Amino acid sequence: MEYLVVHFPRSRRVKVDDEFNGRTDELIELEAGSHLVTLGPPDNFSPDERRIILKDTSELEPREIDFELDE
Amino acid sequence: MSWTSSRSLLAAALLLLAGCAHWVVNDPLVAGRPAPDYRFERAPATGKNTNSLFVCLTFSGGGTRAAALAYGVLEKLRQTRITWKGEEKSLLDEVDCISSISGGSFTAAYYGLFGARIFEEFRPRFLDVNVERALVARAANPLNWLRLVSPNFDRIDLAAEYYDEAIFEGKRFEALAEPGRRPFVILNATNLANGERFEFTQDQFDVLVSDLSTFPVARAVAASSAFPFLLSPVSLKNYPHPAGFTLPRDIREGLNDYEANRRRYYWARNRALYVDDARLPYLHLMDGGLADNIGLRPIEAAYRRTSGFIRRLMNEGEIEKLVIIVVNAGTQSLDTISAKENPPGVDVVAVKTATVAMGNYTAETIEVMKELRETRERAQRNLAACQRRLTECPGAPTLPRLATEIEPYVVEINFEAIADPARRAWFWHLPTSFNLTPEQVNALLAVGPELLGAAPEFKELLESLGGR
Repeated sequence: MEYLVVHFPRSRRVKVDDEFNGRTDELIELEAGSHLVTLGPPDNFSPDERRIILKDTSELEPREIDFELDE
Repeated sequence: MSWTSSRSLLAAALLLLAGCAHWVVNDPLVAGRPAPDYRFERAPATGKNTNSLFVCLTFSGGGTRAAALAYGVLEKLRQTRITWKGEEKSLLDEVDCISSISGGSFTAAYYGLFGARIFEEFRPRFLDVNVERALVARAANPLNWLRLVSPNFDRIDLAAEYYDEAIFEGKRFEALAEPGRRPFVILNATNLANGERFEFTQDQFDVLVSDLSTFPVARAVAASSAFPFLLSPVSLKNYPHPAGFTLPRDIREGLNDYEANRRRYYWARNRALYVDDARLPYLHLMDGGLADNIGLRPIEAAYRRTSGFIRRLMNEGEIEKLVIIVVNAGTQSLDTISAKENPPGVDVVAVKTATVAMGNYTAETIEVMKELRETRERAQRNLAACQRRLTECPGAPTLPRLATEIEPYVVEINFEAIADPARRAWFWHLPTSFNLTPEQVNALLAVGPELLGAAPEFKELLESLGGR
């Protein structure tokens, strides 16, 4: 399995491949490969979504991505 | 009217009857229909069943032998009392999903539809019935001879009618899809064209643009148990995909994964095949054992895929204990081929070719599931150990954590665990048929609970649940 951490200034649910799959700043365990990542509502973040390819991560060295809070 | 004219009219009427016979066609998917969808999401945890203790069962193929072994395990789970979150209950109350193959699908579907009624009705209605004789009697009915003349009606359709009337009370999947109903039952068959596992869920039917809710449960069970040569395939229609049809995101992303994840790529590719409805307007399904004879692959997929219901619940922090119990009624048939100098005939080769692979990957599939469990446990151990070390360093950061720590259990029961060689051989040599003697059924009903109770990992689970 692969590991992802999504950073955002606020606690928010994370959507992976259109399904809720965890929360920001937590380790999310996923299958290797291509994934589309976004956040749950409200819609005050950017970018709208990030496409990533998860590979060669570990629980101690997860892939980390950021979303910014729109002011 | 002359005798000749009457005979001609009768013959014409009979031919018309024969020509009209057709397999039950699955309905198209209609946008905005009120019928419930048969998906796991439609069955949220309610009442005594929690997500925090998440239990999945898999029932293997093997005719009545498999159905009886699975039934015995259900009884054992019902009798097992546990305490979870301060509430005393039966372990059976916590079963969330059942994935089944062939003979095991009779037990899974019956429990899914009728719940505790299974403990009163299933034995006289199925386990003690000579189903093979009943099917032969149907085929011997002259009216059915005429129907069987039709190119669109075959032995499997007679079998499905019998199961529908005699066992499943004409129930459709909408009965399984009632809100809040658990366990979520996954009946599995095999697509004869590509050997791909085919599950009777709305997620799978979405790709056929078809509505599962109106489909007879008996036909799904018939497909799951359509043993090669003895029975013919169950056919389904793959409807034209409307303009703007899009595959679920998980499949679309998986199609990009030829390099990154070959396993996911092939899964996505096989799902996406059905979009080509002009080239593939029909599917023909046979015994689920041709793809996976223990029914564990759907659970593995639910654990692995981002759209999988176990994966999402784990990442959402809802599961604390994950229990997978594999009920494997696999046998070891006597090797009569290797004792002879002359090679087997075409008939034996044909049957062996069609069936020999059914158990080939059973042990491998269980090992894959155990490796997934070990990966999770190792990740949890590493995180805890590293965090402990970090806390010794002033100002060191806190590591990101998994949503919850999970205690996973993978329990397998099979006849191999029977200590006495003669008794083990007796179970191994039980036939794969739909006709067992009452003594054989009694023995199977007794050995299921015995094997489960003796499984080391089940004992560990019970200890952690204050079980008895």
